Amino acid sequence: MAAVSVHQFAQCITCHAWSPDHSMIALCPNNNEVHIYRLSEDDKWEKIHVLQKHDQIVSGVDWSISSNRIVTVSHDRNSYVWNQETTEWVPTLVILRLNRAALCVQWSPKENKFAVGSGAKTVCICYYEQENNWWVSKLIRKRHDSSVTSVAWHPNNILLATTSTDGKCRVFSTFIKGVDTRDSTGSSADSKFGEQIMQIDLSFCWAFGIKWSPSGNTFAYVGHNSMIYFVDDVGPSPSAQSVAFRDLPLRDVLFISERMVIGVGFDCNPMVFTADERGLWSFLRFLDERKIVSSSARYGSQFSETFGKFYSQSKYGTSNDTSEPSRRRGTAHENCINSILTMKKAGDSIATRFSTSGLDGKVVIWDLQSQKDLSEYL
Amino acid sequence: MAEFMEADNAEAIITRIEHKSRKIESLLKQHKPVEALKTALEGSPPNTKDERCKSANWIVVHRAIMAIKDVDSLFSYLDPEYYDILMKYLYRGLSTGDRPTCDQCLRIHEKLTERAGLGCILRSLADTVNIV
Repeated sequence: MAAVSVHQFAQCITCHAWSPDHSMIALCPNNNEVHIYRLSEDDKWEKIHVLQKHDQIVSGVDWSISSNRIVTVSHDRNSYVWNQETTEWVPTLVILRLNRAALCVQWSPKENKFAVGSGAKTVCICYYEQENNWWVSKLIRKRHDSSVTSVAWHPNNILLATTSTDGKCRVFSTFIKGVDTRDSTGSSADSKFGEQIMQIDLSFCWAFGIKWSPSGNTFAYVGHNSMIYFVDDVGPSPSAQSVAFRDLPLRDVLFISERMVIGVGFDCNPMVFTADERGLWSFLRFLDERKIVSSSARYGSQFSETFGKFYSQSKYGTSNDTSEPSRRRGTAHENCINSILTMKKAGDSIATRFSTSGLDGKVVIWDLQSQKDLSEYL
Repeated sequence: MAEFMEADNAEAIITRIEHKSRKIESLLKQHKPVEALKTALEGSPPNTKDERCKSANWIVVHRAIMAIKDVDSLFSYLDPEYYDILMKYLYRGLSTGDRPTCDQCLRIHEKLTERAGLGCILRSLADTVNIV
């Protein structure tokens, strides 16, 4: 089985993040709190902290690896940076200067900045000002025509890619004087803060879930029309590929290697996309084995019944019937998966483990090590 | 000026559709309904906002859809690149409310969904640019 463990934390999870050593998890159970759980010695998750400061649903959380700080954003338009002091988590308010909900957040690779996407058609780049002891928010305005659904940092700490409900995907420079140094920018050395490096105009409907490949040469994002887009050669002449697939749309993606992407979404089952030797991307298979669905009364509509039959036929060769009988659709997740995170440890060259969370309130940990057919893409 | 161009463009498109219609009739006479459907779907939807062109093209596609007798064999000959656009026309057919048209569209819709998946439906619903 690709799913190593399944944990039911809440009715519904909007977002989750791992502590640097993966012994703790921070998640929002679809309300204004963030709960931190720790894995105890007898393999049980126990709730050790509740971060209570936001007034509305927490839409994004990220835990920085080297500085051990948590950043949260919420529909209440504010953001908090949480520092651990002895046993308590102490919040610092970051005023984002937004007039709509904040939707997503991510620490930059060097952890000296974080980016917030919002419903106010803007992206906030926040950084710490030593002299004022204060997090400052700098806005990229008037670039997006609609809500910013996802943000992703390039490994160089300068470029930021965004997706928006206007269907477009954009890449910006976030160079901030005094925070970034010129030599770290490489080829994009001349670009000022907020300058748009490029815009990709492939999707005609909402775009979600953008991620860079480990090298930063490629990025992938998804559309609400059951398409996934891969963009190479970021710069003045990018090359893009669109891949249509036969199932429900995706919400988020993750690069495992330069040649393999995992997509998660409304189909409740992670999808594996791979690139061949020529760099052409295609859908390979579902990650989770679907159980053979018996035509029981559990399925009301005829449609889902035929659909189940279809899957059981197509997966007949690979399915081993070890999944728990309680699983409703024969998969680890029972509802839309809305986020996927790598569980890469410091020093790992490649991470085969990752976690997903979704509207069914579960966090599932997956490992690709046991998947023999995928090893050539790692 | 722009209006004149648009009208001029529409005339050209109408002529093309008429030509396509004649070709489809001759293919149907030769008992090649799948070829006729492919011809009908090619160049669809017309790249214009003109409603006349859209309806003219729909009449042609409708003719080809209604001529399909054996839905199973249709999909052994129809290439996947036609799936998304065919789905859009099936929904246009269903929106007419005409009984024989809806029956035929539903029959094809079932087989098409089996083959192209729910993603195909999502794409045809989400595509607000290529209106058929």
